[in-house]
Amino acid sequence: MARNRFPVEILTPEGEVYKGEVEMLSTKTSVGSIGILANHAPLLAMLDPTELRLYESDTEIVRFAQGEGYLQVSDNKALMLVEDAIRPDALDVENLRERLDEAARTLEQAQDGSAEQAKARRDKRRWEAFLKVAEGPASS
Amino acid sequence: MSQRDVKNRISSVKNIQKITRAMEMVAAARLRRAEQRIEHLRPYAEAIRRMTRTAAGAAENIPHLPILKEHATQESVGLLLVTGDRGLAGAFNSQIIRAGLRAATEYEAAGQKVHFSATGRRGVSSLTFRGRELEGRYVGFTDRPAFADARQIAEDLMVAYVDQKVDRVEIFYNGYISPLSQVVRRETLLPLQQASILGDDDLDVVEDASDSATVNHARSLVEYEPDPEEILKRLVPDYVEISVYRALLESTASEHGARMTAMRSASENAGEIIEDLTLEMNRARQAEITQEIMEVVAGAEALT
Repeated sequence: MARNRFPVEILTPEGEVYKGEVEMLSTKTSVGSIGILANHAPLLAMLDPTELRLYESDTEIVRFAQGEGYLQVSDNKALMLVEDAIRPDALDVENLRERLDEAARTLEQAQDGSAEQAKARRDKRRWEAFLKVAEGPASS
Repeated sequence: MSQRDVKNRISSVKNIQKITRAMEMVAAARLRRAEQRIEHLRPYAEAIRRMTRTAAGAAENIPHLPILKEHATQESVGLLLVTGDRGLAGAFNSQIIRAGLRAATEYEAAGQKVHFSATGRRGVSSLTFRGRELEGRYVGFTDRPAFADARQIAEDLMVAYVDQKVDRVEIFYNGYISPLSQVVRRETLLPLQQASILGDDDLDVVEDASDSATVNHARSLVEYEPDPEEILKRLVPDYVEISVYRALLESTASEHGARMTAMRSASENAGEIIEDLTLEMNRARQAEITQEIMEVVAGAEALT
């Protein structure tokens, strides 16, 4: 049975990347994975880098490599504000590996508690998540 | 003026016109790109604003974060003036500096200390010339500001606020409306309680009204994941960064628009001057010819 659909809008600093109706939205908050269906209660959540999946129907799944951001659900509408949202086919695995290595190196050398360390840690987490998305459909 | 002097002036005005035309065209090309960037950022910036307000509304009773705390005393103010690296853009730079200095005078009259910082070489040099100390100088990127630039500035502003060096942070920039019109915007970034987000000014007033209505009666109903305080810990710095980034992009678009307009009127003005000078040159040439004819006629008459 088809589920009810609800509007989703995804904004990044570079503009709107998605606007449409979906049956389910699946992403990850800083607490854990979350799935949003139609008529969800009002919510404000902080998102971690992960694979974002938008189920337009049972078979049509739009996937994004999603960076840090926020998710707001109100009046049966979902608004996502994220720093990046990139389609998996636009990701470059080689490039991601390099960036991940670089972040890992920086993290090792950075001083404990410095802003540099915090930034490298966030970078590393982002590139790890993106790499997972880029390396093909998640097994889960 | 002799004929040759006029001719020289015409050719120099023509050269100036060539330069202003070229600058106009360069500004027009850059304006298109800058316009696109600011138009893409605006919805995101507005949404971050609204979200910050929602979360701050819910977290009213937990002012543990130093960035959220309103300072007990109002002794010093940080003003950030967003200008360009280059001039020749009409009133673009001067109106920001004027607005900033006027605000500073008001604060100083009220006995508060003012800490200036500025982006863009024009702002930095004008303030230095007026004998103002600058806390932060950010130059070299106003043609095409990157997010990293905004992050750097935002960080400095937040550090000053958290360390109680300033009790209030305001930002002055040219808001981009169209190539022909830019308005000086003055926004309060911190403290959040007085920030411009809370009493809203702009574009989507309608949406805002409905939004704040839902916020008010739904405050307790909204789920937070994690709790509002944790969210604010990341959201507030993001909000400040985005606000600064937006100001930079608005300013860049405004700068190119202002320069394009200024250069267009300079080119038109040069055209008028050329016309006037050509007329003057023709008149001088004719006067010379008449003079010669009269001399010849007078000479012939003297012979007969």
